[in-house]
Amino acid sequence: MAEAAAPPSQIPVTVLTGYLGAGKTTLLNRILSENHGRKYAVVINEFGELGVDNDLVVDTDEEVFEMNNGCICCTVRGDLIRIVGGLMKRRDKFDGIIIETTGLANPAPVAQTFFVDDTVKEKTRLDAIVTVVDAKHLPQRLIDSSEAEEQIAFADVIVLNKVDLVTPEELASVEEQIRKINKYAKIHHATKGNVSITELLDQGAFDLNRVLVHAPDFLTSDEHEHNDEIRSMSFEAEQPIDAERFNAWMGALLAEKGGDMLRTKGILSYEGDDRRFAFQAVHMMADGDFIGPWKEGEKRVSRIVFIGRNLNRPQLRRGFESCQVA
Amino acid sequence: MSETVSADQVLQTRGKTRDLEAFVVKAAFDRAGRACAFALGDGTIAIKRHGDDDWHRTTAHEGAILDLAADAAPNGWITGGDDGRFYRISPDGVAALIAPFGMRWVEHVASFTDGARTQLVACSAGKRLCVYNAKDDELKVFEHPSTVTGIVFDPKGKRVAASHYDGASVWFIASRSDTPRKLEWKGSHIGIAMSPDGDCVVTSMQENSLHGWRLSDNQHMRMTGYPSKTQALSFTKGGKWLASSGADSVVLWPFFAGGPMGKPPTELAGGDGINCTYVTCHPKDDLVAAGFADGLVVIADIASGRILPVAGPGRGPISTLAWSPDGSHLAIGTEGGFAAVVDLSKK
Repeated sequence: MAEAAAPPSQIPVTVLTGYLGAGKTTLLNRILSENHGRKYAVVINEFGELGVDNDLVVDTDEEVFEMNNGCICCTVRGDLIRIVGGLMKRRDKFDGIIIETTGLANPAPVAQTFFVDDTVKEKTRLDAIVTVVDAKHLPQRLIDSSEAEEQIAFADVIVLNKVDLVTPEELASVEEQIRKINKYAKIHHATKGNVSITELLDQGAFDLNRVLVHAPDFLTSDEHEHNDEIRSMSFEAEQPIDAERFNAWMGALLAEKGGDMLRTKGILSYEGDDRRFAFQAVHMMADGDFIGPWKEGEKRVSRIVFIGRNLNRPQLRRGFESCQVA
Repeated sequence: MSETVSADQVLQTRGKTRDLEAFVVKAAFDRAGRACAFALGDGTIAIKRHGDDDWHRTTAHEGAILDLAADAAPNGWITGGDDGRFYRISPDGVAALIAPFGMRWVEHVASFTDGARTQLVACSAGKRLCVYNAKDDELKVFEHPSTVTGIVFDPKGKRVAASHYDGASVWFIASRSDTPRKLEWKGSHIGIAMSPDGDCVVTSMQENSLHGWRLSDNQHMRMTGYPSKTQALSFTKGGKWLASSGADSVVLWPFFAGGPMGKPPTELAGGDGINCTYVTCHPKDDLVAAGFADGLVVIADIASGRILPVAGPGRGPISTLAWSPDGSHLAIGTEGGFAAVVDLSKK
């Protein structure tokens, strides 16, 4: 009898976002022309001047639809579901998939696609959302578009491009603006997209541990922010987490405030389990899985990060702390 | 269905098998029923002819083949691929271009013949559905609001229907007006079937359900309760039943006695928690062939509920099944590259 095919490992997916003119295509070209010895499928929405040798380029229209599943904010990219399904039929497997979004795109639908479809969830994993921003024009973009702000909020990695066009003071100021929105993304300074591929792809950002461990933990006040600006905050819990309590709390929180919660991610130490539990959510869509074991002698601290609007710091802190085993 | 040995008996005694080493995307017999083609994820086609133990392998597409169907002619097939090409495949496996679509994947193909002069083939690429005659002349190009996810000819070849976001469109091929009949239902529709009398259009949806429209009286039909997406839809010959994948059994909706509205579906070959991944109904009798995620293939007699195991688990999820036009042979393909043609005729 023929052997069943071994289950293929999940292919990492990198989502590349960035406002118009930020330098996304330049960066993509750099990534693809670098002699990386790996094979990527690149999903783009308009066929630009891509220098592609070894890689497969898939041209698509961003086709967003609303799921009829009760999540008011759940929009999904149907075209990506089709494309991932199609790519899985090819024999030459890919080392990764890169999805470029249009400049005006809200990153939520593309991220939510990875929670919704069974095949997509089974065959791929969202590795990182990489956002390219223009150091010179970001301040203006943040004033005149909500997409630019959301693209920063969703990012795991931010490429702060065109740093040669600004003074050190302007650069510091723009970085401060980014940090106000998203404290936890890694920021790379770049000129003409000169960031190494190793800093962008295969980040395992949804593995989270690294991001969270390296997250700058600024001292922040407990004041409640009453405005529509996107902010980020993180909390820690030293006692093990009661899984049931956490699920009840998070479920209620996302159901009530999911519209405002752009991204939620955490590494949890569940009571009675030696493995780290990685939790992530985009708006109301949540998912979690055990990842590797805690290291020998490692302090088992649970951490959670919220990025969104109207975040009530004391309430979130109390909520998270109350999930600890008493 | 736990005894692997007995489950494989039909395959071992009546099957011709091959490891094709690539994802079997689709299997289809030609209309004459003399050969079966397997379209593969590596761009090749494997052809198994009756009475010939060799499998003929040729390369058609540069990337993956995404769909395959019998040609409208008695012999040969049509294919679409992620290289943006729509081909006619000769009985020897030689590909001849019908039309190129640039960067757009050719995701769905279909054909129609009345057995005489009318021979139509169609494909979808992006939002377009294109219809050609036997000489590859482009007869029609139908544009849709979003990417076409499935196409089907009606039983008389007068109309062609396409599924897409928020419903389906039914086009009269010969019509001079370029407006379709729009069948609307919000959401992402990912596949389509039409009843043999041409009156019911059914789509599968991203939200693990089916939606149907009865064209004669605009009745909507909702068929829900699937744990996963329905990849395959198939009406029985007389149109009494609609078989579907997407549950851990073969789900059959009754399209008679007022159904499917308000009627529960009949479920066959279920109970072991393994997802049914493909179904196709017999061309003559009320039988359905069903494949499962563990590689199991069965034939179910709908009236009696009796199950005949054809192939046991272990060869990868079943990705395609096809009957020969006379119903004497069943073709099987799996994601893992296993392929078989099973002779079910009386010996």
